[in-house]
Amino acid sequence: MSAQVAHLTSARFGEPLPVVAVPTNCPGCGVGLDEDELRGNCYVCECGHHFRMHAQAWIALLADGGTWQERWADVRPHDLLDWRRPKPYEETLEQARDEGLNEAVRTGTAELAGRPVWIAVFDFRFVGGTLSIVAGERLARGLEQAAMTRTPYLLITASGGARMQEGVLALMQMAKVNAAVGRLHRAGVPYFSVLTDPTFGGVSASLALMADLTVAEPGAAIGFTGARVIKQATYADLPPGFQSAEFQLAHGQVDLVVPRTELRPRLAKLLELYTR
Amino acid sequence: MSTAHRPDTLSVWQVVELARHPDRPYTLDYLARMVPDFVELHGDRLTGDDPALVAGIGTWHGQTTIFMGNQKGRNLADRLRRNWGMMHPEGYRKAMRLAEQAVKFGFPIVSLVDTPGAYPGAAAEERGIAAAIAGAIMAWFEVPVPVVACIIGEGGSGGALGLAVADRVLMMENSIYSVASPEAAASIVWRDNARKVEAAEQLQVTSRDLLAMGVVEEVIAEPRGGAQTDYDGAARVLDEALWRHVSQLQQESGERLVEHRYDRFRYIDSLIGAHPHFGPKID
Repeated sequence: MSAQVAHLTSARFGEPLPVVAVPTNCPGCGVGLDEDELRGNCYVCECGHHFRMHAQAWIALLADGGTWQERWADVRPHDLLDWRRPKPYEETLEQARDEGLNEAVRTGTAELAGRPVWIAVFDFRFVGGTLSIVAGERLARGLEQAAMTRTPYLLITASGGARMQEGVLALMQMAKVNAAVGRLHRAGVPYFSVLTDPTFGGVSASLALMADLTVAEPGAAIGFTGARVIKQATYADLPPGFQSAEFQLAHGQVDLVVPRTELRPRLAKLLELYTR
Repeated sequence: MSTAHRPDTLSVWQVVELARHPDRPYTLDYLARMVPDFVELHGDRLTGDDPALVAGIGTWHGQTTIFMGNQKGRNLADRLRRNWGMMHPEGYRKAMRLAEQAVKFGFPIVSLVDTPGAYPGAAAEERGIAAAIAGAIMAWFEVPVPVVACIIGEGGSGGALGLAVADRVLMMENSIYSVASPEAAASIVWRDNARKVEAAEQLQVTSRDLLAMGVVEEVIAEPRGGAQTDYDGAARVLDEALWRHVSQLQQESGERLVEHRYDRFRYIDSLIGAHPHFGPKID
């Protein structure tokens, strides 16, 4: 295991993962965590619990060292609806920027095991990874470029859905990105999506589940409506594991459940199969 | 916009309540007046039939047209059967089955949206509601016949969008269209769905808001007092507006239609701020 992980995160393929904030104890097994060890194991606990990773960590995990070129990082969100309560949207945005975050989707080009790819990564830290106008714009532009240049497209999701503070314009992003996904498909370009914890609402009901190949991370919660809202709306008792990656695999919604430590070589192999 | 549009006389929440008025005309009320020979068709050919979506075929302005629309119930038994207009995956798959038929025969499509959202229940999740909506949204971009949608009551969330990826999207004057129902949005941002009125105000869900944002092409003025007071009058103005758009779109080639539909949604957020009437209605 450790040799393989070292290979995955080695300078030759990817860069060492940046630090990801984790709790002191694992929510999966309750054991106290050794942060360095965890980092060396792609933020997967020995018990199998997969910690959420931010966009930079995903890029470091998947892009070959030095190949990542981010695009449209300068496209910035604005408060178009004058959203004020419970917190002004401008304040929410400023706070996220102060923490060094740049929108819920980062996108650009890279190589994965020597093959050129477009990568788009959701960052759950930015307003819950919500689909916004800027997120939708970055996704749509990348998808269009990928279709035009016939470059495989790789999506990593982590999102609560559409961003409430942008109202119906956030909803419209679902159509905007799916239109672009359609172009990618018609151009015959491979599209893989990796669903991480959590993937819900406007993201699962738009581009996340429209890939040629949908991979989910073990234990990731994936669905349309969140369990809390389902319970509220229907008073239903939900079975353990409801909406987990394994549940979605059993219900025919994803192709594969792949541990993060094995993700990179699996994607490289699949990319080879689809681009031969 | 029609001069008969009187948005300023009602509060946002009053509009929400009109959009949800239990006597408001539903899809079948409109179809009974617009398409006397309407034949409802059933089933998605995979799992079942979704009574929350009525879909079928009939003669409209002298030509065969595919109609689909959400149907809420009038009494408790009916509401239960129609699931309050909240669709399961079967509904979206039925819609796209009929859209494929429209393509095969070159029929235009009219879609009437009236749903609080897709069904937020376990059965919908188990049968892939997210993929059903996503697949419908993507498939609408490859339908080379005229598609006109109208929000006739509630247009809630992705569940509504799955039926509203059209060349023209219209709204009845007292309808609402939103990223999430006001209750769901309040539950998300406040963790308290009792803040629904504030949520509705901030979300900007009325027909005037949507027109100002450039998300819909036209607002259809309702009979005085709202569509629930005059079904015949409401059906007349809806019919007139839908036909005006469909007949215009029929001048375009299928290729141009899908090209324009792509651009419509690709750049739909570019008009924000360009309209003088657009702005928040809270202090």
